[in-house]
Amino acid sequence: MINLLIFLIMGLALFGSFIFIALQDSQRTSPDSSAVHAVGQIINLEGSSFADAKRLLDDTDYQALCSNPDLRRLAERLRSERRQLALMWVSLLQNDLITLWRFRRFLIQRGVPSSVKEELRTFQALLFSLVLLYFIRFSIHTAGPFALPRATRQAGQLVDSMSKGAALVLGRIPAAGWAEIERSWVKGAA
Amino acid sequence: MFIFALGPILELWVLVLLLREGMWREYTSFLLYVFWVFLGNSVILAAYLYFPSAYPEAQAASLYGSWYWHSDSIDVVLRFLVIWEVFHQTFPKGSGLNKSLSKGLGIISFILLVLACATFWGYQNYASLRSIHLALDRTFDFVQAVMILGTLLMARYYGVKCGRNIRGIALGFGAWVSLSTANNAMADLTRSFLPYWYYLRPWSFGFMLASWIWALWVYEPNPPIMESKITDLDRWTEDWNRTVSAARTIIRP
Repeated sequence: MINLLIFLIMGLALFGSFIFIALQDSQRTSPDSSAVHAVGQIINLEGSSFADAKRLLDDTDYQALCSNPDLRRLAERLRSERRQLALMWVSLLQNDLITLWRFRRFLIQRGVPSSVKEELRTFQALLFSLVLLYFIRFSIHTAGPFALPRATRQAGQLVDSMSKGAALVLGRIPAAGWAEIERSWVKGAA
Repeated sequence: MFIFALGPILELWVLVLLLREGMWREYTSFLLYVFWVFLGNSVILAAYLYFPSAYPEAQAASLYGSWYWHSDSIDVVLRFLVIWEVFHQTFPKGSGLNKSLSKGLGIISFILLVLACATFWGYQNYASLRSIHLALDRTFDFVQAVMILGTLLMARYYGVKCGRNIRGIALGFGAWVSLSTANNAMADLTRSFLPYWYYLRPWSFGFMLASWIWALWVYEPNPPIMESKITDLDRWTEDWNRTVSAARTIIRP
């Protein structure tokens, strides 16, 4: 009886694992690394290129200053400046997202193949990311830059995933044509 | 009746896809298995049509029942051809990964087989011919599912990419044998499950065949494994040794 129950449970667990792998594989269409690099070169992503987000949102300095009553005013100034910087960074991330989305539209406009399903998924991801970034901005405004450090730090990943989406589309055209794409994009942006 | 006829049709379809564009040369072990399944199921279908039993309960004793279970026992062994195909396509002979992993995985496979035989042997409550075959099926189904899953996970761990052909074959087969493990255990656990078992068994097999058709629809073999040069490996070994000795110095200054 126990033997049979173990086989039943293990069988179902294995079945679930295979289904999970199949679903994961169907979602995973990672772009070519050269295409990702090319997107980084064509588009200047100011927000996601900022590497010190962890330090910006770290409250250690603020706490150290707060622990001394004489330095409270300085701590408040630090907090206010950090808030301004964090807000600026999040707004740059929002700009990056919109630029990437525009770049993707530009590629498809130039005849790179895509499907309606893929377009809808991208649009959904863009909306979700923008809403999340607005929420993070709101939280920085109201609760300060140190309130949601982890969520704010991970906001940069939203741009990364959008960038991979653009790279996936760019990877559908031969690498020889990327220079021409870059010229047209820069010309269109100017 | 519909599913009995559908089985050989789908198997024939898989065979045609394999023979088209010479794909069978690449997947010889898999072709052998599909050919066996087609042959076996065609004979079973003929037995079902020409020597049927009046009562479902007496089917095990009929010619059809006898053929069904005996061919199933052979099938249990021949399924290892699919596992072999997936393994040797994912880790081709002569590749560094094959050299590194084949011995260890061979030992693990042997242990799993011994475990399966022991479990099958130890199962005393064989009420009928069907129960013996159910026990044989589920123990080997389980081992085969673990082997396929192990191969896929190992490939993922080392970043080996599988093409559509092998991925579809492996996932379809793995899902079928694991579901079959649970299905065969449930059929022995409670007799009230038997009516569902009669449906689930052929339909899950049909779904596996459908996934194989999807997998073989276009020829997409596994991309070749890019191997590092000896100089890269030497440099990596040097770096690794330096890191380990640095870590030791930090732990025990």
